[in-house]
Parts: sequence; structure tokens; C-alpha cells
Amino acid sequence: MLRDPLHRTGALVRHTTKLMAREPGPLATRMILPLGFLLLLHPLYEQAQHGNQGVAQAVIAALVTFSLMAMSIAGSTILTERIWHTWERIRATATHPAEQLVGKAIPVVAALLLQQSIVLVFGIAALGLAVAGLPLLVLVVLAWSVTITGMGAALGLTVRSLSALSACYDIGGMILSSLGGALVPLAAMPQWIRHLAPASPGYWAVSALEAAVRGDAPRALGACAVMIAFAAAACLVAVLRISRTWGRSSRL
Amino acid sequence: MLRAEGLRKRYGDRWALEGFDLCVQPGEITGLVGHNGAGKTTFVEVVTGLVRPDAGRITVAGIDARRRPRAARRLIGVAPQEQALYLSATARDNLALFGALTGLRGAGLRRAVAEVAEELCLTGVLEQRAGLLSGGQRRRVQAATAMIGSPQLLLLDEPTAGADPETRTALLAAVRARAAAGTAIVYTTHYLPELADLGATLAVARAGRVIARGSQDSLISGLPGELRLRFDGDRFDTGTAAARTDHQALPAALAGRSRKVGDELAIASTDPPADLAAVLAAGCSPTSVDVRKPDLDDLYRALALEVSDAA
Repeated sequence: MLRDPLHRTGALVRHTTKLMAREPGPLATRMILPLGFLLLLHPLYEQAQHGNQGVAQAVIAALVTFSLMAMSIAGSTILTERIWHTWERIRATATHPAEQLVGKAIPVVAALLLQQSIVLVFGIAALGLAVAGLPLLVLVVLAWSVTITGMGAALGLTVRSLSALSACYDIGGMILSSLGGALVPLAAMPQWIRHLAPASPGYWAVSALEAAVRGDAPRALGACAVMIAFAAAACLVAVLRISRTWGRSSRL
Repeated sequence: MLRAEGLRKRYGDRWALEGFDLCVQPGEITGLVGHNGAGKTTFVEVVTGLVRPDAGRITVAGIDARRRPRAARRLIGVAPQEQALYLSATARDNLALFGALTGLRGAGLRRAVAEVAEELCLTGVLEQRAGLLSGGQRRRVQAATAMIGSPQLLLLDEPTAGADPETRTALLAAVRARAAAGTAIVYTTHYLPELADLGATLAVARAGRVIARGSQDSLISGLPGELRLRFDGDRFDTGTAAARTDHQALPAALAGRSRKVGDELAIASTDPPADLAAVLAAGCSPTSVDVRKPDLDDLYRALALEVSDAA
């Protein structure tokens, strides 16, 4: 019984991977930019927060900020299908909505994992970041990638144009990462921002990453649970949007 | 194969479908014609499950498409009216994806891609990105994505809109071949001669329902053809209504059905021999007589007339 859904999902995964490989610009940009950011700004972070804490802050800042901007990869993967009308075409096949979402999500999660891995490997190898809980860090990065993919999918299924999507991830990504304390430590931020910070998934990503670097498993896992809750909420929005009518008639 | 009964779909205060009934048998090509807004595309969207009807029943090969939409979709291939292709992917990738989604895999999938590409004259462009193909080639790729996997029911929504003659010829040949193999086909179009080429059964949609259904001959037979008469120039002055002409000499019943077309007088006629006899009996002496049988365009015009009358 599972053979057909797996086959269809696999076909969608392969196809999405091919589409992403044909348009490598956005992903490549989001892989290169954080490295430039790290190279230029890590001395500043190290001076502000001495030792490993400064390096960790710089690496986490680059990772969270640019991975939030990489929501665009998930969003545009789906929005492009809507613009090309291929989403409706896929919906007219025997595929289940969950197969469609998973088929789109797996390559995107893989791309985000790659992006974040590059930042972390660079931080560890080039900047000397010491990580106490490496398996924990892998788990956090996975949870964060799933969260970003979910948010990107919800965005891609909600906005109506690529320019609207671009505005959402540029402005929204910067706000969420700043609010979460990725760029500037929350301790240095105004009180009202500290109150608002937990509303940003970026806050939980920063908390989880910091905890993983320190090897603080309970805190990292707790933050991961909150991230997964954000992902679940975003996926619910995506599923509601995907199950809505989008035929030409709906625009009459 | 396809049975739709009493389909109703309302958008706001407008009914897109209002009691739409259609039945298509295996191997039958049904040409669904009608003016824009008649409900053709909404019908296609309802059958494929993209739009949920407010009421009515649809079965595909006996499967209730409203209760088991995915089971029904397994039997359906659809080429929507709007272009729906992955423009950055090659034609082969587009075909391979939709083939895989029908359950084809491995060598069977590769063979199916090659066969449908050959059928629609796409073999030479399989490795090109869909976005770089001509409009006609994209139309053919779109149709091929519907045909791959040999679905039992094909829904082709204006597949040749804006297509070049080569595309049209290839598409019509492919549609005929599919029908000959037993596929039930719903073919919506505004190009009525295509339906004559396909030997399609006609279903005429208007205001969300099918108002006429039958073979082309049966639907057209009730329509008037034309008797075209040409007169000597000095005896046929149509410049003014009051002119002294053979036109005036026509019996009143014929004059009411006549109009000037160039140098000829065209008389709408369901029985040209009888009308010609009446013309001659009235003392008119045409120098030439031509009889034109009604065709699909006349059917379409007759429907347009009904619509404008209703308005």
C-alpha cells in the first residue's frame, strides 16, 4: 500500500532537486553570504564577547540570520509552482497533499542543512569554535531547518507574487533574527524587545544553538520542541492553504 | 466512463454550473463547445477535483469522484487550458514527472516518455527546457503530460488554442489514436472544424448546462443551410430596399429569410430544392445557384443568436 505514495513522493523529490539544481543562484548566495559575514564581523563579536562565546555568537548570528533569509528557497519553490500553474496540475493527479508537501520539503530541508553545515564547519575549522555537544548541534540544525521549511512553505502558499515573497523574507527574516537575538545579544537590547523575543522562532534557534555549543542538552531540546511547534503551526497553515480551491474558477 | 449528473457550482451570485449533465463512453470523443463562461473549464476542474461542486454526482469508471477523488484521478489525464509546465525543466523532465505520478517507473517510464514524445512530434526537443520551446511545442508537451500513462479518461481543455498547424495536426492525430484505443475524451474548443476532423460527438454548453448533445449530423440537421442566388446586374439592384429587383419578386416567405452577401442573395433554407422551386415559380431568373449545407459554424452562430436573444 505504501509503495505508490513512496514512489510518487520520490518522483517529486527528484524533480524538485532538479529544479533547484537548475537555478542554483539563491542557494549559492545564501551559502556564500554568511561566510563573508563571518569573515568580516567575527573580530567584532570576539572583542565584544571574549573567547569562544564571541566566536559562537558570530557563527550563530550568521547561521540564524542567513538561514531565515533562506526561507525564500522553500517559499519560492512552492510559489513558482503556483505561478507556473504546475501546483494545480500536480493536484489533479493521484498525489495526496501530504506527498506534495513532503516532495517539495525534503530537497529544501537538505539544502538548508547544507547551508547551515557550511557555516558551522567554517566556524569550527576556520574560527576555532569549540562545540561541546556535536550530536545535539546536529539535532538543533535539523529542527531549525524543518522550522524554516515549514515557515517558507506557509509563506509560499500565502503570498501572491515573487516580489511579495522577497519582501517577506528580506524584512521578516531580518526582524525575526534581530528579535531573536541573533545579530545582537538580547542582553544588549531594550527591555521591550526582550519581552517580545520568545515570539520569534529565531530566539529559540539562537537558544538551542547556544545550548548545543555549551552541551546543555535539556535547554537545547526544550528549544527544539518550541521550534517544532512553530514548524507544526506553519505546516498547518500550509495544509489549509493547499486544500483550498485554486482552480481558475476560484478567481472568477 | 465519465458520467456527470446535475452538477452545480456557484461563485457568489453567479452559477458557473447549473445542472450540468454529461456522459462520455470509452472510445468516444466528446467535443464540449460553448461560449466563454458557459461552464466548460469549471466542468473540467470539477471532474479533476480542483473545484468542489455544490451539488451533483460524478463517476469515473464507476468511481464516485466526489467521495474518492484520488482514486478517480488515477484514471484521468488532464491538459488544462492555462499552460502548466515546469519552465526551467526540460520537456523530458516534465513528461517523466507526470509519467511517474501515474505510477510508471524505470524502463516503462522511459519507454512511455519516448512513445508519447514521438506521437506528438517532440522527440527532437526532449532535452530542451520547456521555457525555451515555442508556444506550439509547449502545447504539445502539455498534452503529452496528460496522455502519458494512457489514462482511461482524457480531459483536454482548449488544447490547440493559439497553436500552429503542425501542432494542431499532431494533437488531433494523437487524440484520434487515443480514442481508437478506447480512451474516453472530453475536448473543449472554440475551433469547431477540429471537432469535425475528430468525428466528435458534440455537447453544447450554455449558462452552466449542456443544452444540446448528439452527433454533429443530428445537431446540424435542424439548422438552415443557404441557397445562394446570383442575378444579372441590371435585374438585381440591392442598393435600396425599394429598388425594383428580383429580390422584391421573391415570395414573402423567402424574402424574410434572405440577405445580400456581396453580389449574391443568400436565403436561409432547410429545404433548398423546394425554395429554389419557389424562386423559379415566382418568375425570378438567377444566373447561378449555389447550395451551402449547414456546418458547425452555423450551429455556433445559432447558439450565439439564442444568447443575444435571451439577453
